Amino acid sequence: MATITATPPRTLPGALKHPAARKLLLLALAAAILVPLANARWTSGTWPTALTIDLTQPLTNVSDWIIDNRDSHPLFLYFFGHISNAVVLSVRAVYLTLLTIGWTGVTALGALVAWRVAGVKLALGTAAAFLACGLLGMWVPTMQTLALMVVAVLASVVVGALLGLAAGLSDRMDRALRPVLDTMQVLPAFAYLLPVVLVFGIGVPAAVLATVVYAAPPMARLTALGLRGADKGVLEAVESLGATARQRLLTARVPLARKELLLGLNQTIMMALSMAVIASVIGAGGLGDRVYQALASVDVGAALAAGIPIVLLAVVLDRVTAAAGNGGTEHPRAGWPYALAAALAVAVAGRLLGRTDWPGSWTLNIAEPVNRAVDWMTAHLYSGVPVVGGTADWAGHFTTWVLDPVRDGLQWLPWWSVLLVVAALAWLIGTWRTALTAVLAMAAIGVLGVWEPALDTLSQVLAAVAVTLVLGFATGIAAARSDRFERLLRPVLDVFQTMPQFVYLIPVVALFGVGRAPAVAAAVVYALPAVVRITAQGLRQVDPAAMESARSLGATSGQQLRQVQLPLARPALLLALNQGVVLVLAVVIIGGLVGAGALGYDVVFGLAQGDLATGLVAGAAIVCLGLMLDRVTQPTGRRAKKGA
Amino acid sequence: MRRKRMMTAGALALLVLTTGCGAADMTQQASPFANAQGAKTVTLSVQSWVGAQANVAVAQYLLEHELGYRVDTVQVDEVPAWDALSQGRVDAILEDWGHPEQEQRYVDDKKTITRGGDLGVTGHIGWYVPTYFAEQHPDVTNWKNLNKYADRFRTPESGGKGQLMDGSPSYVTNDKALVKNLKLDYQVVFAGSEAAQITQIKQFAKEKKPFLTYWYSPQWLFKKVPMTEVKLPAYQEGCDADPAKVACAYPHTPLQKYLNTDFAEQGGKAAAFLRKFQWTTEDQNEVSLMIAEQKLSPEEAAKKWVDSHRTTWKAWLS
Amino acid sequence: MSTSVFSVDGLWKVFGPKADRVPADPELAALPAADLRTRTGCTAAVRDVSFDVRKGEVFVVMGLSGSGKSTLVRCLTRLIEPTAGTIAIDGEDVRAMDKARLRELRRHRAAMVFQHFGLLPHRTVLDNVAYGLEIQGVGRAERRAKAAEVVAKVGLEGMEQRRPGQLSGGQQQRVGLARALAVDPEVLLFDEPFSALDPLIRREMQEEVVRLHREEGRTMVFITHDLSEALKLGDRIALMRDGRIVQLGTPEEIVGSPADDYVREFVRDVPREQVMTVRTAMRPASADEADSGPAVVPGATVSEAIEAVARTGGPVRVMDGSRCVGIVDHTGLLDVVAGVAAEADMAAVAAGSDAAAAGSRAAGAARVGDGGAPARARSSVGEAPRQRGGAVQPAGTNAETV
Repeated sequence: MATITATPPRTLPGALKHPAARKLLLLALAAAILVPLANARWTSGTWPTALTIDLTQPLTNVSDWIIDNRDSHPLFLYFFGHISNAVVLSVRAVYLTLLTIGWTGVTALGALVAWRVAGVKLALGTAAAFLACGLLGMWVPTMQTLALMVVAVLASVVVGALLGLAAGLSDRMDRALRPVLDTMQVLPAFAYLLPVVLVFGIGVPAAVLATVVYAAPPMARLTALGLRGADKGVLEAVESLGATARQRLLTARVPLARKELLLGLNQTIMMALSMAVIASVIGAGGLGDRVYQALASVDVGAALAAGIPIVLLAVVLDRVTAAAGNGGTEHPRAGWPYALAAALAVAVAGRLLGRTDWPGSWTLNIAEPVNRAVDWMTAHLYSGVPVVGGTADWAGHFTTWVLDPVRDGLQWLPWWSVLLVVAALAWLIGTWRTALTAVLAMAAIGVLGVWEPALDTLSQVLAAVAVTLVLGFATGIAAARSDRFERLLRPVLDVFQTMPQFVYLIPVVALFGVGRAPAVAAAVVYALPAVVRITAQGLRQVDPAAMESARSLGATSGQQLRQVQLPLARPALLLALNQGVVLVLAVVIIGGLVGAGALGYDVVFGLAQGDLATGLVAGAAIVCLGLMLDRVTQPTGRRAKKGA
Repeated sequence: MRRKRMMTAGALALLVLTTGCGAADMTQQASPFANAQGAKTVTLSVQSWVGAQANVAVAQYLLEHELGYRVDTVQVDEVPAWDALSQGRVDAILEDWGHPEQEQRYVDDKKTITRGGDLGVTGHIGWYVPTYFAEQHPDVTNWKNLNKYADRFRTPESGGKGQLMDGSPSYVTNDKALVKNLKLDYQVVFAGSEAAQITQIKQFAKEKKPFLTYWYSPQWLFKKVPMTEVKLPAYQEGCDADPAKVACAYPHTPLQKYLNTDFAEQGGKAAAFLRKFQWTTEDQNEVSLMIAEQKLSPEEAAKKWVDSHRTTWKAWLS
Repeated sequence: MSTSVFSVDGLWKVFGPKADRVPADPELAALPAADLRTRTGCTAAVRDVSFDVRKGEVFVVMGLSGSGKSTLVRCLTRLIEPTAGTIAIDGEDVRAMDKARLRELRRHRAAMVFQHFGLLPHRTVLDNVAYGLEIQGVGRAERRAKAAEVVAKVGLEGMEQRRPGQLSGGQQQRVGLARALAVDPEVLLFDEPFSALDPLIRREMQEEVVRLHREEGRTMVFITHDLSEALKLGDRIALMRDGRIVQLGTPEEIVGSPADDYVREFVRDVPREQVMTVRTAMRPASADEADSGPAVVPGATVSEAIEAVARTGGPVRVMDGSRCVGIVDHTGLLDVVAGVAAEADMAAVAAGSDAAAAGSRAAGAARVGDGGAPARARSSVGEAPRQRGGAVQPAGTNAETV
């Protein structure tokens, strides 16, 4: 039906010549035929039960089978067992190495690598970051996380690079892999946990593998992109000189893709780090576990003490790999041996002095003052603030006036009309393919039998995205117009973006109570930095010539913004919307931990109770929801990089 | 053609690499962080509630300072913790609230987990209202009168019904079935985690607002926010057999310890110590309160308790 | 007649679905581009092109963008796979070569210089120049020594350790040229090598090519869209339009006797006196004129002859060695400058054949130099078109005057 795209006769009114109007007309036509049919067959209202499939029994069977056979079936003994073994051994090897080098050695080594790659300033920053980790009493957890990260990142890079190589060299592989990788990038990390736990059980192997699955796609995407984006002229020149395929790859394509490869490494590291924290739910240990444990006892201070090292690690790793990607400072190669020798000397000196463990007395307790501050904040802001009311009142109003109507509205809508709206939105912004994917994803949710909770989650996402966009665009515009404001904002954004999502959960409960409102608040806080950043960047990159011509015509700065900057930055704004939706969804899911209910709760429930049927179905529904939301907000031609 | 052959060869090599070195039972792998630097290590599972943290803190302190072990703690939810215990990734669970299905599977059938005896603490789950509210409205403590008060317990989150707040999804709960079967005009709202639940309870208490919550004892929060239990239809053996038809209160459960079988057999002093570890509800609450309210680190809290209860723990070491 | 390095016959390159059927079907083959596209969805970039490139000559393929000239040069080493026709290098069939043989061809026999240089940005100048040798498996020390030699030859001494990004466009193209020269190929292929350069740099580079050609006598195939560049460098020029060769001949033939209106329009503004030789302007000498007076060589341009005539004030002899082949005077020279002589020639040609109507197809098939086909260009000039590249031609003069 949807493929009939004959040009309309000239006699049609002007409005219908517009492609958007044409698409809508076509859709309305399809609806007019299909809806009465569907209505006659099944009822309207919520998703018809006749169209659902109950997967509980088969999934429970699978889960039982796995648990019963995990120590005896050859598949586990000869395949997963070895993978798991390899992970444990390599993590252990790295961990022991780090402990052997001692804190002096690790700090020195980190600083020297940063120095060679990115210069003196970053080297000092790196050393300071490592020392801060020790100072916060988090040396050992930091090393555990680092060990896990090293293994996970290496594995992700290898897997990602191989996939990327395949996709970069073969068109068929590219066509097959691209949609998969695109989709994997938009999925909330939480959805990955259950299947891995099912096979590997709780523990480090599961955590590492979940991290690899989560962090490898950007590497693969960027590798493929780099290989495909290589200057055609150079490749032709290389071929004209009679290079073999291997020579072409090694001497031209790979070196030419250096920038993308390093960007891929950077993205992989950042995603691995964020996953390493979330994976503490399935036993990753390290810093993430400390955050998780601290939150269980409502100890925001302790959570922050474990969260700060994560932020520091993230910032350092991000800056160093980014500097490497930009070519870095031109140093002679000869520097490396000296740097290594110096690091070695420091490590040996540390060992000789018996200082491999971080000295216990050198720690700083930040938990208490932080907790006091949080207590004060919640005590004074929660309720009874004159005029504006307390945060709890806001949360209450937000729930009653925004979340409830949106949820009830969505759940009241007949199921087919939800599908129609999804189709219309996706088609208007993309092609009929994206529309089809979005509709199928939405329908899959219904088939899985989680229509109602999915719409509940959707209502939270919509509300959070709306708030995020209003705040994000406003801040982004302000940042684009004032350099000083942007300079002030930058470190704040960095910290908010790298802080593990978990850390936000307790303060939001303290401020907004239990329920959907705090989940929305946490989602807004988490998604805001990306939206602000993309908006500001988009506005700043508007063609200066267009701005100049507007100014020369005497446009006020308001006119410039409205008539030149915003329209020209439209792609960036759409990208901000897309990223906002993806990030909000990720946190709304985690909101299951603070009473947001819906799909997030089901996943948490599945993990907590080992009820894989519930968890996996909810996980699949989240995947579909993510896919649908991405397609509906994805303008043709994606340039998005997660967490850009 | 050549490429195909190379790919086949690669696949074969991978297969040989992964299978050639024999079977690998991943259920027998320890944590990579265990036994670092040659120390004897015990890995304990910490559940998310503070009582469990208190158990682990004291056990950890004594294992480290009296027996010379190194202790790793892992926070895992209850059911996955059974799985981890069975795999040996965790050596012991010190406080279990009763998981008959897991007990059947791992202790009786697979024998990978061994019972470790009573913790000495009796646990009880129930519905609670704050005491300040119960004193004003004494009849609220009977479930039959709950519908009368549904209005008072309303929140934006529960919509038109009264709110019954539940905690972490990992906890044992029949509340949804109870609400339905007892025909109560209430909505179960899951706080999602105990931390969130406690935070919310404290906020309510600060404003002396009425609330109805799923809660359990022993729990240190009773000392900060006194709460009174709402009587549900009395518990009888087997009345909770069918989760969908439950219409009775929760039982009183003597909390249990469980050890990994290999650890129980080869764990030496540590295993013997953990078997003997037994203390009272008051002891546990004392430590819990220090951790949760005075914000001492678990280690400091354990040290305080250990310093003042020498006779209690000396018995565990003999 | 000299030996051919490249010999191309009936070459087609058609892009699009089932491209094979287009050259095979005479009806499709005759369709104009737009019709072909609507009928088959195909685009014919090169249509039935035939020519020979002789050893030691500079063969220029010239045409506007989209005329198929870049595709044509890529077909020579099968960087683009031709659809139909034959290509031979030194008599060996290029289209029949297997991968290894083809690689051999690209490594040792034909090296290419590209419009956008195609340098590897992560390598130094020296390593870029040595790259072709590295591909061949030449050892590090040897290839670097050779590269250093070539770098000096193209005037880049002292820049060996720079990266391409640190060089100007002209310098980058010198690296590209050096890279091609380093492998010591039999033929150099240039694909619009100087189009991306500033006019001054472009002239400098053109002179560089002229110098290299004079020094080494290497065969060159040179693609350009710039007529003056083509006239300056080419021994022979193939003028392409819509995938066909419209006219093939020496610069003098192209300018002096355009094959059709398209070519005429093309060469209209060329300063004819600098391209045409005195051969076109001379008349037979009378007996007394042949013996004395000032002399010019037959390859001299009209512009040079004018200078000589102006200086002496009378007619000048055209001397081929010691033999007088003709006389140029004011009238003859002025006719050339005014274009009257050429028009007269053209009229004769038009009368002699139905060239204008036959269009480019006939011209494409006209294989200048193979002696068989009716070469229109030759009919008007009556001489083998190899003069300019020959020893008579003072290359320096040519370079200075254009």
